[in-house]
Amino acid sequence: MPSLKFLSSLRLTVTLLGFAMVLIFVATIIQVELGIHEVQEKFFRSWIAWWDVMPGAKKFQIPIPGGTLLGILLIINLLAAHGARFKLSWNKAGMIVIHSGILLMLLGEILTGLLGREAQMIVKEGEILNYSTFPREVELVVIRPDGDGLETVTAIPQSRLKDGAEFPFGGFSLIIRKHHPNSEILPEAEATDQFDKTRATEGLGKDYAVRNTPRETTDDRRDLATAFVEIIPDGGKSQGLWLLSNAFKSEQSFEVAGRSWKMAIRPRRLYHPFSIKLVDFSHDRYLGTNVPKNFSSKIKILNPDTGENREDLIYMNHPLRYGGLTFYQAGFENNDTTSIFQVVRNPVWTLPYISCAMVGFGLLWVFSQHLIKAISRHRKTSPAP
Amino acid sequence: MSPLRKITAWLIPALCLLFVAGAVFKATRPSPGLDFKNFGTLPVVSNGRVQPLDSLARNALLSIHGKQRIPGDDAPATPAAWLAELNFNPALADTRKIFLIHHDDLLGLTKITRSEEKSYSYAQLLPAFPALQQEGRRISAADSKTWSPYEKALMLLTRNLSLYNQLKHALALPGQDRLESEFSLFLTDIHRAMAEVGKQDRGETFDQSAIDSASTRMTVVADWAPMTEVYTTPSGDDADGWKKLPESLIDAVEKRALHPATLAFARIGDAYRAKDTNAFNSAIKDYLAWLSGNRPGLLKKSSSETLFNAIAPFYLCMVLYVVAFLCAIVSWLWQGTTFRQAAFRVLLIGLTFHTLGLVTRMLLEGRPPVTNLYSSAIFIGWGAIILSTVLELFHRNAIGTAVASVVGFATLLIAHHLSLSGDTLEMMRAVLDTNFWLATHVVVITLGYSATFLAGTIAIVYLIRRAFGTIPPSTAISLRGMVYGVICFATLASFVGTVLGGIWADQSWGRFWGWDPKENGALLIVIWNAIILHARWGGMVRERGMMVMAVFGNIVTSWSWFGTNMLGIGLHSYGFTDAAFLWLSAFMISQILIMCLALIRRGSPQKINV
Repeated sequence: MPSLKFLSSLRLTVTLLGFAMVLIFVATIIQVELGIHEVQEKFFRSWIAWWDVMPGAKKFQIPIPGGTLLGILLIINLLAAHGARFKLSWNKAGMIVIHSGILLMLLGEILTGLLGREAQMIVKEGEILNYSTFPREVELVVIRPDGDGLETVTAIPQSRLKDGAEFPFGGFSLIIRKHHPNSEILPEAEATDQFDKTRATEGLGKDYAVRNTPRETTDDRRDLATAFVEIIPDGGKSQGLWLLSNAFKSEQSFEVAGRSWKMAIRPRRLYHPFSIKLVDFSHDRYLGTNVPKNFSSKIKILNPDTGENREDLIYMNHPLRYGGLTFYQAGFENNDTTSIFQVVRNPVWTLPYISCAMVGFGLLWVFSQHLIKAISRHRKTSPAP
Repeated sequence: MSPLRKITAWLIPALCLLFVAGAVFKATRPSPGLDFKNFGTLPVVSNGRVQPLDSLARNALLSIHGKQRIPGDDAPATPAAWLAELNFNPALADTRKIFLIHHDDLLGLTKITRSEEKSYSYAQLLPAFPALQQEGRRISAADSKTWSPYEKALMLLTRNLSLYNQLKHALALPGQDRLESEFSLFLTDIHRAMAEVGKQDRGETFDQSAIDSASTRMTVVADWAPMTEVYTTPSGDDADGWKKLPESLIDAVEKRALHPATLAFARIGDAYRAKDTNAFNSAIKDYLAWLSGNRPGLLKKSSSETLFNAIAPFYLCMVLYVVAFLCAIVSWLWQGTTFRQAAFRVLLIGLTFHTLGLVTRMLLEGRPPVTNLYSSAIFIGWGAIILSTVLELFHRNAIGTAVASVVGFATLLIAHHLSLSGDTLEMMRAVLDTNFWLATHVVVITLGYSATFLAGTIAIVYLIRRAFGTIPPSTAISLRGMVYGVICFATLASFVGTVLGGIWADQSWGRFWGWDPKENGALLIVIWNAIILHARWGGMVRERGMMVMAVFGNIVTSWSWFGTNMLGIGLHSYGFTDAAFLWLSAFMISQILIMCLALIRRGSPQKINV
C-alpha cells in the first residue's frame, strides 16, 4: 500500500525531524520578542505556527508546522514504521525499546499539557494559607460576609468578564461596563487623551484614569486587569460605578439593602483541603557578594482531615510532595520575609523518568551491538601484527 | 623500523616533556628579593570564596587589562607583585597603563590622547571621573539589554575602576605608612578611651581628649571598611568567619590583641614601604608558619591554587597540541609511522596535563568538572581528546591525533578568552548547588557536545582531504566508521544529558520541559544527530552526505553552546557588534564554506559502494 509505505518511511521521519528543528529554532529566536508563554501556545501547542520573519512588523509571515501537528505525525510515522516492519528479534528489540521510550515521552508531554496545573503560593512569615494563586489569571470575586468569620465567595472567571455582561446576585445585579485584560492606571491628573473617559464614582478607584494596553509577555511582568462595574439593586437605581483591579491590594465594599458586601479583582485562587504556615524563611549569601548561597523555607502542614500538624523544610532541589501537589522553593521577596512556592500538580511526572531510562538503555544496547560488529570486522580485515 | 626512526618517534615527545618540566621548574622556583611568590600564596576571601592573593591579582588584571603582564621595564613582574605595589605604593601603581579602552567615543569622553597600546593609567583617567560617573548614572538607569557598545564599554570601565579601587584598600589604608604602629596605637587609644568613658559613667574626673582622639581613629577605621571587598583575616573557622582588615581591628579591641593575619599584613606593608626585604620575607614566613599550624586546610588549598596558576597547565597543553598536530600532518606526507607515533605520544602528554588541570580545578572547587561556561570549554576539549584517543588506538592513522589536537587547542583557546571575564572558580548560585545533577546532567550533555564537535571535525578532515587530494579507500572507510561511531555516541550522550536536564528541572521547579533557549539548543543537537542516523539508515545520504551533515552538527552545537546565551542581548539591535557574536557568526560561516567543499566534483577511482 503506497500510503502506508509513505507513512512508515524513514524519509518522512527525517523530513518531520527537520521541520521540528526549524520550529524549535524559530521559537527560540522569537522568544526574545514574544516571551516564553506565548511562544509555547503559538508554536509548540499549535497545529500551524506563523513565523513573523521581521518581528513586530507583521508584514511577512511564513506558516510552519506547529508542535501538535509534528508530534502527532511523528507518532503516526513511528507506529506505522514499527507496525509495517515489526519483527521480534534481539537485533530489533533495542530499536523497539528506544522508540517506545520516545513515544512515552511524547505522550507524557501531551498529558502534562492536559492534566498539569501550575500555581504559586506567596506566603509571609507567620501567615497561614489554604490556597495558591495563578499568577497569570485573575477572577472577579463578590464576597458576602455571613457572620462568625465565614464568607460566601462567588468567583467570576476572567473569560466571562465581557463588556455589558450582567451577573444577578440575591438582591442586586453586577454589570461589567468596561473590562481591560491589561491596562495602565494613572491618577486622573496625569492622564492623557489616550485614556478612557470613564471614571469610577465610588470606591478606591475614584480618582484614577485607565487605558487598555497589550498583554504582558515577559516572565517577570504581570497583567493589570481592570473592570468598571455597576451595582444595581433589584428594582432600584444604580449605586454607582466602581473601578476594580488587581492593582488594588484590598477589597472594596458596598451596601445593598442594609447588608454589606465586598468585591475585588484578584489572582485566581486554587483552594487546598489543607493549610501551609510559613514558620521561617532563611536566605544566605556568599560573604561579600550578592550571590545566593541557599534559601529554604521552614513550613508547617496543617490538615484538619488527617489531624496533621507537622514541620517540614522546602529548599532548592528538595520540593515537598503533599496531597497530590508538589511545592518548590521558587523565590522570595519583601526583604527575605516572604517565600514564593511554585505549586504543581502533574499526575504524570514519573513518565519522563521511565522513558529516559528506556531510551538510554535502548541506545546503549543498539550502539554496543554496532561497536561489537565493528570490532570483529576490524579484527578480520587487519590481522594482529 | 630503523633505529633512527625509533629514536625520532621518542625524541619529539622527550623534548616536549623537557619543555613541560622546565615550565614546572620555573613555577616552583623561589622568587629572589621580595618574596612575591609566597606573598601570592596568602589566602583571603573575595568573590565569596577563599583564594590566594595570586588568584585575586591575576583575575583582576585579566578583567582590567586583558592579560596578566603589565607593560614597562620597571613594571611588577608578577600579578602578586602588582597587587603588592597597588596596596603599598599606590602612587606608582596609578601610573601603570593597565586600563584597556578600545572604544573611540569612550576615549573621547576621557579626553586622553590615543596611544598605540590602547591602555591608560589610573592617573590619566582621574580627571575624567566626574564625566564617567555622570554617564554611568544615566546608563545604569536603562535596561542593560539595550546598552550600545559605547555604553557597555563605559560600564565595564567604571566597574574595573571600582574593582581597582577596592583592591587598593584591601591591605592598606592610603596615607598611612606605618600600619603596625598605627594598629597598636589604635588598640591602646581605644582601651584608654574605654577606661575614660568608664570613669565618666562613674562620675569621676576623666580625660575628654583621650576619648576624642580614639573616636577620630575609630572613624578612620570605620570609613575604611566599606572601601574594600577583600576579607583578609580568618577569625572564625568557616568561610563566613572572615573579616576585612579594618573589621579585624575592631574585633581586636574585644580580644585585646591583633589577629596574626592582621599583624602580618601590617608588617608586610610596612616592610615593603621601607624597602626592607628581610622584614618583608620574614613577616610572610611567620604568617605562613601560623597558617600551617592553625589553618592547615586553608594553606594547602591556597598553595595548590597558586601552584596551579603558576604552572598554567592549559597553556602547556595548547603548545603540546600544536606540536602533536604538526607531527600528525607530517606523518601523512612523509615517514608515516615515525611521526604518527611521535604525534600520539605528544598528545598523550598533553592529555595527562589536561587531566591534571581538570582534576585540580575539581579538587579546588569541590565540584564536578563543569560548573560554568569556562569549565565547559575545558571539558569539551578533554572529552573529545579521550574519544579520539580511542579512535586512534583503533585505526592507527593519525587522524584521531590530528582531530584531537585541533579540538583540544580550539576549546582551550575559547576557554582562555572566557577567562577574561573574571574568576573561573566562582561560587555556584543556590539553584545550581547540587553536585549530583552537575555530575550527571551537565557532564553527560557536555560529553554530547564533545562528541558532536569531534564528528564534525573528522568530517572536516574528510572534506578537505577529498577536495585537495584523494583519499585512499582504506582511509575513507576508517573516516566513515569514525564519524558514524562518534555520532552514535553523541546521540546517546546528548539524549541522556538533555533528559537528565529535564528531570533536574522537574526536581527543582516542577516542570520537566519549558522550551527555554538552552533546553531547545540541547534538543536541536539530539534531533540533528537522530536525523543523520535516520538519513544514513534510510539510504538518503551516503559517505559524502553524512560528512556534510556532521559538519553542520558543529553549527548546531555551537548555537546550543554559545548562541543561546547571546539571545536577548545578541539578537537585539546592538548586540550584533559583540565580539563573541562576531566570532560565532564567523565560525558558522566557515563551517558552511567547508560544507560547500563537498560540491567539488572528483573523478571517482576510489568510489566504494556503501
